[in-house]
Amino acid sequence: MQRTVKFPIWLLAISLLMTAFSVSARGVYQTNEEFLADVFKQTVPKSKVIWLKGEVKQKVADIMGEPYKGLRIRYWSQDSRSAWILEDIGKERPITFGIVVSDNKIENIKVLAFRESRGYEIRYPAFAQQFIGAHLDQLELDRNIDGISGATLSVWAMTDVTRLALYLDFFSRQ
Amino acid sequence: MRRVMRSLHRSVGIVVFLFVILLSVTGILLNHTTELKLDKRFVSSPWLLSHYGLDTVQADAVFLLEKRVISQFGDQLFVDATPVTNLYRPLLGGIVLDEIYVLATDDALILLNPDGEFIERMSGESGVPPMIQNIGLFHGDPVLQTREGMWRSDFLLEEWESISLQGVGWSVQEPMPESVEKQLATYFHGFGVSIEQVILDIHNGRIISKFGVWVLDLIAVLMIVLSISGFWLWFRRR
Repeated sequence: MQRTVKFPIWLLAISLLMTAFSVSARGVYQTNEEFLADVFKQTVPKSKVIWLKGEVKQKVADIMGEPYKGLRIRYWSQDSRSAWILEDIGKERPITFGIVVSDNKIENIKVLAFRESRGYEIRYPAFAQQFIGAHLDQLELDRNIDGISGATLSVWAMTDVTRLALYLDFFSRQ
Repeated sequence: MRRVMRSLHRSVGIVVFLFVILLSVTGILLNHTTELKLDKRFVSSPWLLSHYGLDTVQADAVFLLEKRVISQFGDQLFVDATPVTNLYRPLLGGIVLDEIYVLATDDALILLNPDGEFIERMSGESGVPPMIQNIGLFHGDPVLQTREGMWRSDFLLEEWESISLQGVGWSVQEPMPESVEKQLATYFHGFGVSIEQVILDIHNGRIISKFGVWVLDLIAVLMIVLSISGFWLWFRRR
């Protein structure tokens, strides 16, 4: 009789802990301004925009698997480095990524805001480390990215925005 | 006893007469909804749509910019009856700047082209002042009222100067126009209510809420009384 009472309490406690953790995993980890200040050491260059039209619009849609949500993308560039703040849907809600491209390769990638209930593991530096140094080869990354169980869609979103940033950096320098 | 039973049978028979016909007809129709395609045909009567609460939608904010209706429902931004993009914060206002729709939340400006397509979300990193309270126009220039004061920019919206102005045309909320509200109701509620659903609700009494269910329960009890009294009268006559 005692066991039947204890079980639901344990179950409830575990559920509450899991819910609390998944809720705490959502949110803004770093504001866009803080990200840019970090990247450019406080002297953030004036932003520029790429209008998504014609061939670039098609290439972006090919990379993302669907048209990008927006007709123009803003970026910040200084010498051979550029910073991009891009969004992609994980499962249902947009994830905001901050990406730095340097000499055609990924210098850094961060999750700035995460709004999904699952898949937040992609923000861990150990996972993001896989993208450092990646470059494009025929619009694909030059390497395989190891997935995370239960975070597949978030991993796909992160891979797509990495390819997008590398392509847009290449396009902006043409 | 026989007289009482006959009187009861007659009285109950009169009361349930129309209901038996109603339940029989609706029952037959419900048995053949697929053949009659009643599940694919929808009721357009304003009264019925209103009765089911499917004729209206409640927007969080509505702004009329030129001929467009800009509205917010939860975390979705609509231009007329088309969802455009996600909105993370409450919509505070909007202006038309060189044919571009510029909408304001407290932390960003959302730009839409003349076709209502989403262009870009500009926030602090693009130079937009924080803590926006409203957006307006002053001699064609965009003006923001923020908690830290008033700011003016140009059509690029990238550089803002602190300023103090009188006579700014601030954005104000408007009621939702009826024509767009109908389209939005279709977007949110689909085509409305199927004929099958209406017949089912007539059959089970739910067409007049809980009261109708109780009435149908009472009719069902009366039909039991009717059948028992009828059987009793037939049995006694033998």
